[in-house]
Amino acid sequence: MKIKILTFAQTRTQLGFDEKDVECHAGETPREILHRLAPQFDPGKTVRVAVNQEYADWDQPVGNASELALIPPVSGG
Amino acid sequence: MKTHIEFTRSVIVPPATSPVMREIGAVLEFSGVVRESENGEQIPGLRYEAYEPMARTQLEKICAELSAKHPCEEIWFIHRLDFVPVGEASLFIRINARHRGPALALMAELIDRLKADVPVWKTSNVLH
Repeated sequence: MKIKILTFAQTRTQLGFDEKDVECHAGETPREILHRLAPQFDPGKTVRVAVNQEYADWDQPVGNASELALIPPVSGG
Repeated sequence: MKTHIEFTRSVIVPPATSPVMREIGAVLEFSGVVRESENGEQIPGLRYEAYEPMARTQLEKICAELSAKHPCEEIWFIHRLDFVPVGEASLFIRINARHRGPALALMAELIDRLKADVPVWKTSNVLH
């Protein structure tokens, strides 16, 4: 299956793309998918992940989700 | 409760006042305006971006959750995106409620939650 990876703000700068379709399987976690795509990228404790537009756990399998977004610290307002 | 959520790339125009509802006793408005300095440096404005579909979903959830805690009748939420010059509003919120207490409490918590959980980001364009 394919999942779309979205990046915003500083994560877009760090990873060098704003969206990318990546092959994965349902048992993979966001952390594993990201590590395969960009081994140098470490989300640390500040970058959250959203799966299908809901905050999710970096270590929870993505299932059949279609979208995975990296959410650096937000600063709206 | 009615919730209106909007993201715009142009100057925020506050919506017309809602039709008269005789039980509304509090109309509370907040504008977040871009200041001329950021981290001690002069800036021409701020640039905002959002993950819009998720921001909208998050805001709907947050408004529903907060209005269960602080009963209000209507929330208008408008966030401007792209470049916002100094002196112009990046954010407008209006809350209509029967009483001021829930309106004030909801307003404060909504802004706190926006700044913690809603995927919107700003970057400054520093003058050099």
